[in-house]
Amino acid sequence: MKRRDFVTNIMLTSGALGLGISCNRKIKPSDTENTHPEISNSGDGRTITEPARQIPVLAETDVLVIGGGPAGTAAAIAAARTGVETWLVERYNHLGGLWTGGLVLPLLSTHAIDKQKRWKQVIYGIGGEMWDRLKKLNMSIDSFNPVIDPEAGKYILDEMISEAGINMLYHAWAVNSIMDGNLIRGVIVESKSGRMAILAKVVIDCTGDGDVFHRAGENYSTMKYHIGLVHRLGNTDRINSKVPGFTKMNIGNPTPIPGVNWVNMRGKDDQDGIDVMNLSQLQMEYRKEIWENYEKIKQTPGYEEVFLLDTAPQIGVRMSRILDGRYKLTLEDSMTYRSFDDAIGISGAWTTILYNGKRVSRNERPMWQIPYRSLLPKKTENLLVAGRCFCFEEGLVEDTRIIGTCLVTGQGAGAAAGLAIKEGKKLKDIDTKKLKNLLLKQGVWFG
Amino acid sequence: MKKWPDKSNIRILCSLIFILLALPPGWKEITGLSAWLSPFIMLNSVILLKSLVWLNSLGLIILILCWFNKRWFCRTMCPVGLACDAVSKFKIRKNFSLGRIPRIGRWLAIISLGAALTGIPLFILLDPISIFNSFFSVFSKELSIVAILSFSGLPLLLLINIFFPGIWCARICPLGGLQDELIEIKAAFYKKRPRDINHKKAISAGRRIFVAWGAGVISGLIIPGWLKSSSASYFKPPASIEKNMFNTLCIRCGNCIKACPSKIIIHHSDKSDPVSWMTPEISFKSYGYCLEDCNLCGAVCPSGAISPFSITAKKDLFIASIEIDLEKCLLTNQTECERCKTVCSYDAILIIQGDLPLIMKPSVDFRKCVGCGACAAACPPLVIKMVPPVINSCYG
Repeated sequence: MKRRDFVTNIMLTSGALGLGISCNRKIKPSDTENTHPEISNSGDGRTITEPARQIPVLAETDVLVIGGGPAGTAAAIAAARTGVETWLVERYNHLGGLWTGGLVLPLLSTHAIDKQKRWKQVIYGIGGEMWDRLKKLNMSIDSFNPVIDPEAGKYILDEMISEAGINMLYHAWAVNSIMDGNLIRGVIVESKSGRMAILAKVVIDCTGDGDVFHRAGENYSTMKYHIGLVHRLGNTDRINSKVPGFTKMNIGNPTPIPGVNWVNMRGKDDQDGIDVMNLSQLQMEYRKEIWENYEKIKQTPGYEEVFLLDTAPQIGVRMSRILDGRYKLTLEDSMTYRSFDDAIGISGAWTTILYNGKRVSRNERPMWQIPYRSLLPKKTENLLVAGRCFCFEEGLVEDTRIIGTCLVTGQGAGAAAGLAIKEGKKLKDIDTKKLKNLLLKQGVWFG
Repeated sequence: MKKWPDKSNIRILCSLIFILLALPPGWKEITGLSAWLSPFIMLNSVILLKSLVWLNSLGLIILILCWFNKRWFCRTMCPVGLACDAVSKFKIRKNFSLGRIPRIGRWLAIISLGAALTGIPLFILLDPISIFNSFFSVFSKELSIVAILSFSGLPLLLLINIFFPGIWCARICPLGGLQDELIEIKAAFYKKRPRDINHKKAISAGRRIFVAWGAGVISGLIIPGWLKSSSASYFKPPASIEKNMFNTLCIRCGNCIKACPSKIIIHHSDKSDPVSWMTPEISFKSYGYCLEDCNLCGAVCPSGAISPFSITAKKDLFIASIEIDLEKCLLTNQTECERCKTVCSYDAILIIQGDLPLIMKPSVDFRKCVGCGACAAACPPLVIKMVPPVINSCYG
């Protein structure tokens, strides 16, 4: 090759390479926006030291369940049925939590599809018994995701608790966990009778907000979600749609009592459910809103006889703390019929989601198993967590915070606690096969 | 015995790889990678868009190889050439000779590049790799008349070759013509010619290039005005360039359609708008949506009709917009639901106070909503409608 050709070739090649290297046509994002500053609602940071004091021991028991919502009630009943002594502590004057006291009346999600794509009832066991009792009282409507009457709910839950021989403690708040290394020895409760301790071999945290595991020093994440306040309207059957000036108003959905509707409230976004100042403020705001809305309804032609029956005794905190447990249940698990050796039950799904870029409507959602490990905290050896604060990823929140799932996790935790005490084993070491047999005997459905 | 690898064997191997790459369903980032190899597509794209992307260097490398070896691409890689050679062997007309047919390909190539400079890559659709890939892209979606038309490119070309053996490669193919011109330019560059090209021929080559380029530049100024597509709006993939230019630059290879993981890109087939036939269109009918962590359509587009974009840029690339029917919305009917807000990756949906007390309603922030369609797919009562974008993309 001549020198001249050589130089030309080199020039051409390097030119071409230069062009190649300058390849950067690509759309890049504009500047990212600032994140919102965190606003803290806590006081001015002043503290005082509470003097140490002697606290009377109210009871020494096998299983202590904190929180009497669907999870806590099911846990207490399941534990008591294994034959161990059980105490149940509830802060308000009723069982059923948000289901009854929060007037969130539908029992979601009783159904889902199985592997053969058949629409199946999945909620059996203690939850199923509750449903059956309500059906007998004619206090539940609809054949799936039934809406119940709250007073009937409170009544049958009391009935079931008494039948199981559970020591019931109403009007008492769990305020601290009594820790001894990696063991929780009991819980301190506060009430009109003062501060008292209840000691237990196993504690089940069914507070929904994870108050017990928080005090026990477990790791958790917090989720800010919308908080609402449900109310009920009466005389909705006396609405006259034929009068002039009638307009359609939102009067909620029917309940088992004729003429009584329950009205859901979504409420404000991003609310802190464990900030008492926030809860107090929301409570007043919401009650005012409900009253004003009711007055507006009453003034609308045709709605004259409608009245505000009640606002819910409990404010509707949907989510707060989520435990960081031994296994984080994922949305993928729930969508792929993931089967667990240590499953404690099956729950359903009630809403449409997007999964892997595809729409999966409620009627196509698979049933999903809940593993025992998701109820086990990482550190504390004799603590179980059931209800909406057990360990799952946020993508699954719509299906874990509902009543059906709480009933399933509650019963699983209660039965596991009973089994561990009877066999003298640590919670994490119990034989999951025996647990499954026990739950099967208690009527839980495993597909 | 021929020694292996023989050139014809390499061409068979390359053709197999080309077929594999072109087959639906796609191969993620390397879907239809073969289309990047065509220097004709590369030059048209680069000259029209006046910018480069990394993968253009593939075409550039081929171009350089063709500079040193006459018709290197045709001889070693081209699957269409292989197919043409195969059918040409039937020799239905034994006395047929190519001699008197002009070399149209050279004109097509230069005119196309000239026109690309001023606004339209005129003959880019005649690129053999484009024809080859679009043949396979049809199988990725259900058949329609428009799809069959696109599908007919390769069979038609082979049919012509049965009756006029060798006519495509030697006379019509603009990619082949481009390589021929390259050799002529090289000869002029070195101021010496191969023995078979005499002085007269060289002058005619110079004239041809001048005239063709000029004709191309002028047609590039005029033709886009005639090819205005209808104003009927449909949804284009994110980062699509301006619609009229898109219709002319898109080589209909179907790479984006094959690569799209949620299968929402389909062939556009509006009967009244032939200019846009077979270009990609986003359809939300199957309840799929444009995934928040995907930029494959931009990454696999060999012509640059869909620009490459980074995933974080998706928030600026508007595909569509949404309309919520609040009458039927579950939330405004006091049912527990905010699926639209939950699935929105761009924080475009806010739940705000509705018209009546206690009633909340979803509301759309049109500056943030790119129209990915996730909310429409997730909405339980299906009351979210996809509508043309309120804001036009920052690009195109």
